[in-house]
Order: sequence, then C-alpha cells, then structure tokens
Amino acid sequence: MSRLSEALLCSALLGMSLSASAADEYADIGRAATPAEIKAWDIDVRPDFLGLPAGSGSVAQGKQVFLAKCAACHGPAGESNTMFTPLIGGTTAEDIATGKVASLSAGPTRDRTVFMKLPTLSTLFDYIQRAMPWTQPKSLTPDEVYGVMAYLLNLAQIVPADFTLSNSNMAEVQALLPNRNGMTTDHGLWAGAPASKGGMGNGGKPDVQAEACMKDCAAEVKLGSPVPPPIFKAIGNPAEQNRSYGAIQGTPLSSN
Amino acid sequence: MSEAYSQPGRLRPAPENFLDDQQITEVKAGRRDFLRSSLLAASAAMLAPLTARAAEGDANILNLPEWSTTSGKSVADRPYGSPSKYESQVLRREPRGLTPLSGNSASFAPLQSLFGIITPSGLHYERHHQGWQDIDPARHRLMINASNPAFIKQAKVFTMDDLMRLPPVSRIHFLECGGNTGTEWGNPLVPTVQYTHGLLSCSEFTGVPLRLLLENCGVDFKKARYVLAEGADGAALTRTIPMELIESDEVLVAYGQNGEMLRPENGYPLRLIVPGVQGVSWVKWLRRIEVGDQPYGTREETLGYIDLLPDGTHRQYSSIQECKSVITSPSGGQSLLSKGFFNVTGLAWSGRGKIKQVDVSFDGGRNWKTARLDKLVLDKALTRFNIDWVWTGQPAILQSRAIDETGYVQPAYRQLREVRGSQSIYHNNAIQSWEVLPSGEVNNVQTI
Repeated sequence: MSRLSEALLCSALLGMSLSASAADEYADIGRAATPAEIKAWDIDVRPDFLGLPAGSGSVAQGKQVFLAKCAACHGPAGESNTMFTPLIGGTTAEDIATGKVASLSAGPTRDRTVFMKLPTLSTLFDYIQRAMPWTQPKSLTPDEVYGVMAYLLNLAQIVPADFTLSNSNMAEVQALLPNRNGMTTDHGLWAGAPASKGGMGNGGKPDVQAEACMKDCAAEVKLGSPVPPPIFKAIGNPAEQNRSYGAIQGTPLSSN
Repeated sequence: MSEAYSQPGRLRPAPENFLDDQQITEVKAGRRDFLRSSLLAASAAMLAPLTARAAEGDANILNLPEWSTTSGKSVADRPYGSPSKYESQVLRREPRGLTPLSGNSASFAPLQSLFGIITPSGLHYERHHQGWQDIDPARHRLMINASNPAFIKQAKVFTMDDLMRLPPVSRIHFLECGGNTGTEWGNPLVPTVQYTHGLLSCSEFTGVPLRLLLENCGVDFKKARYVLAEGADGAALTRTIPMELIESDEVLVAYGQNGEMLRPENGYPLRLIVPGVQGVSWVKWLRRIEVGDQPYGTREETLGYIDLLPDGTHRQYSSIQECKSVITSPSGGQSLLSKGFFNVTGLAWSGRGKIKQVDVSFDGGRNWKTARLDKLVLDKALTRFNIDWVWTGQPAILQSRAIDETGYVQPAYRQLREVRGSQSIYHNNAIQSWEVLPSGEVNNVQTI
C-alpha cells in the first residue's frame, strides 16, 4: 500500500469515525416521547381526515353548545361580524353543486364568510378543536366539535336539520362544501418542490413580470384616489409618531 | 425665507426648541398647518435677535447645558437599558379599530424612525392569533413526531436545556407578514409607512437547524416531504412547511433574537425561522413538529393567508415573500422642513435571495436612478438603500423599485393588478409612491 493510499484510507476512517461520534453525541439529547404524550398533543386533522377522532354530534346538540359557548362572538346563527368574519352567508345551492362560490368573482365584497372560503371540512374540525372557544381553547370534546360543525353546516344549508355529523360521514359532507373546488396551488409562491416533482405549484416561477426601465418610462403619471380622510383619525397624529427633530418630521394631524 | 431656500443643497434644520409647551399642546390637538406657521414664526423670531446675538453665538454653546455641569447617573442605574426619553415617539402601533379583539390583532413597526437593517426587538412587529403568552422555559417542550410512525425512528421530546446544548447558528433574516401592505391593494388606504409596510422586521436569530433535530429522531426524508409546525399558545397555530427548506438547513428552531432570548411577543422561548417565507409560518411558542407526506390544510392555509384572484379562485399555500422595497424617509405623514438636500432612504428585501439593485424615481416612475446599497447585503434579509436628492420645492413623487439576485423586478401596481386583481389582501409587493407637495407634506398615493 502506497503512502498516499494509506493516508487516504486513514482520513476516510477518521472522517467516518468523526461523523459517527457526532451523531452519537447528539443521540443523548432529547428523549423518547411516550404514546400518552403524543396523544395529548398530536391533535391535528388532515384533509384526508387522518387524525380525526371517533365521535358524533347532531345539529340540535351542536346548537346548544354553539348558543352557550360561541354565539356571544359569532351571533346565534353564525352571522355576526362584530368580533370575527361571519361564519355563515354568501353561498348558494348552485355553489354546493359546483363546489365553487360564484360570488367570490363578483369583485369587492364586504365580507368573505368562512363557508364561502372553506375548501376542506377537516380544517373546521382541526381549528375548532385546537383554538375555540376563544376564551377556553381546547376545551371542547370531540362530540361537541362534531355537533357545532353539524349546526354550522345546517345554517349554511349544506345538511338538513335532523343531521348527525360523525367521523364516518365527514367525507360525504366534504363533497358538499360550497367552495371545495375553489383553491389552486398553481402559483410560484410555494417554497418547496413543484407539482411536477411531487410537490405543489410551479417551482417558484413568478406570475408578474416587470422590467427595469430607467428613462422616459411612462408618458404621464396619473394619481388614483387619495387616502380617505376618516382614516387619518384612526391612525393618530403623525407629528407624535416621528422624532421631533431632524430635517424630516411628522406632519401634524388635520383637525378636520 | 427665500434667503434660507436660496442655496440648493443646503440643509436647513428645524430651529431647536422652536415649540414651547403651549404650542406643543396645540400641535397635539391637531391644528393643521401649525407646524409650518410656527416654524415661520420661529425662524422670523430667530432672525432679529440673531443679528444682535450673531457675534455671541448659540446659547446652547455659550451657556453650558446641565449635562455638562452636573454629575451623571450611576452605572446599571437601569440594569436593562431603554431608549432615551426623547425617543418616546418611536413605538410599534396598533391602528384604532383594526380588529375588535386586541389578542387577534397586529402592531406595526415604526419603519419611518429606524436605521440600518436590524429591528430593535422591542419594536418588532406583532401579529397574534390568540394573544401572546410569557411561557416558562423550564416547562416548555418541543415534541417531534410523524403522521405515520413509519416516517420516524423515534418520536422525541426536547427541553430548552436539550436544545441549547446543540451547536447553534446565528443568521440575519427579514420577517414579513403575508398581509403586509394588504390595505393598499385597491387604493391608498393608510397614510404612513408604519401602517403601509410596518408588518416587517429583521433580526439576527440564533438556534438549531431543524434538520439536525429531524435527523436526531431518524426521520425518513424520502417519505416525509412536509412538516407541520404548531404553537403552544391558545390558537395552537399551525402551518405546513416544505421539507426542502429544512434540508437546505435554512429553517431554524430559534431561541435567540438580536443577542438575547426571544421576546415573549415574538415567541419566547422558541420559534421557527423560515427565511424568505411569510411570518405566519414562523410559528411562535413552538411546541410540536410533525413530519408527514401531505400538506395539512390548516386554518391559516384555507381561511386566512389565501390570495383571492379575479376569477374567484384562491391561491393556497402561497408562502414566499417576493422582492419588494419601500422608501421609509421621507414617507407618508412626514414633512420636509426646507428645500435643498435630503438623503432618501429605505428598505429592500426578497424571499428569493439577495437584493441586487434598488432604483429610485422622483417623478412618479418616469425616470430612475440607482441607489446606494448600504454594504450589508444578506440573503433573505432587509437591505438598506439610500440616495441623495436636492428638493427644489416642486411637487415630486418618490418611488423605489428593487431587483433581486434572480433578476425579478418589483412590479408597479398596474402590473400586479393585471395578474392578481385588487382583492388579494396578501402578498402585495407593488412599488410604493410618496407624493411630496410644495408645502413639504408627504402623502401616500398610487400612480395608475
């Protein structure tokens, strides 16, 4: 064996042992999670319903829970926009048939309700279970979550008043969601592999193409509408939001 | 006044202490034009005595101030330092009426008052989905598990002690809310840069590459191509992260921010760092990572953070913050106090890499000049630019346009709206315009 190959072998062995020992050192860090711990925290429900707990709740049962724990913010029929975007409204029987909410293409709308946007029923279960009610997140039992969802689905005219939602019929109701076909991932803003390689989107290709013109770029410059005057009061006095010294200072708020 | 303005390029600073207490009260009460009229008065008042006192000089020099003639305060008088009392205007702010629930709201960083590229931790913007918590680090845990047990050799639990034993890395990155500039899609809606662009910050973050932790658990990187990140707050906020960003070692599980521990409002004691991706994915109070083979369709991927297109379709899983810039001074709600020389400065950034070039226009986009980049040009970080300008007193419209290392050019509103319409709410990276009036007032406008 030549000195060179001996040296190469040596360094190869050294490299192997180094990486092995580094992995060994890290292996001591952290400990195994127990099944009970995983069960306590792994509460997510995926669009394919993986993670969905067994249980059921009727429209009538859900109404009781909703009126007691949800209606203060969302309104008794999920219609209120006082605290949050309304849950219910803006969807039609036609939308349920097509799976895409037509009013979303109608230009500016005051509110886009939850059922106008919701593409996946799993999301509703997942979110209510982890984050609602606002003042007591994670306090609802799976049956209560099913019930509240059944009540909302009935308010949205997706299921009848005598309906009971359960882990076994979620997929059937999914097929009735008014905006189930309303989403696209065909864009360049997903940071992972593209759809062509098993991921999502087009691999980061921008949808807007601009050019860096430097001279005589626009024939004329037109201004759009100005900032609405009432907004100034809501954001306060710029004179108090800038340093009181320097060549550029805050403009005092108009009194009108 | 014409005398003061007669030398182009000369900076005429505001007269010092030109407002007395009574006048300050009037300014605070919102009397329009008060600042300018009092400036005129102050300047005029200064002119007369100045001729008499010219030989003597500035009272602030001739009469030694108290800070030069008394002893100062003790060391560690304030064991955790805070800004000067004269900097009380530099605050993050929540616009009144933004949301009815302050726990489900946002506060905006005062970009108009900041220098360089690092956002002081106490001024970092906030967006909470269920308020903020101050978590006991001794009781905080990070769990790593899998949607399918076959994707991981061992689901594990890490304490802060565990995580802080591992070799750390520190990196500077910007963090921008996907909804930043969301008010401006249709028309200019808010007057100042704090509210148009203040859901933006940049910090040095310190932590452990998530890849290292996933390898430690024996994750099957071939099968598990998606990661769910989950917070420990009331919202238990979740987002899907692509495994590619973890394999590139960019994603960190971070505890440090600007040399100290994260602030509670920013996720103390542990948050995810996802460079180039919108803020909602940088899950705060990080309690769990799940690896899986599908995206998760969480609430923040189905009801929020989806981009409405003109045909009524929403873009889902839109994540990258595209190249963008904004002039922070002069900016809306400010006034230039004189004609003459100004340094125009702002920030540029891109979720796809480094900033290559920033151009500035003073005539609403007809003609452009390339600005200076202020040395530190980092990957997926804020970059400070500036350019000199002599204001003649004529109306002007200031714009900045950034280009990143991929060659992507920040679009004008017209170009952005042609593709995405005006109802998107999210991912508005259009060129911002600030109109300078002959009075010196700067307003938020849009060229169409």
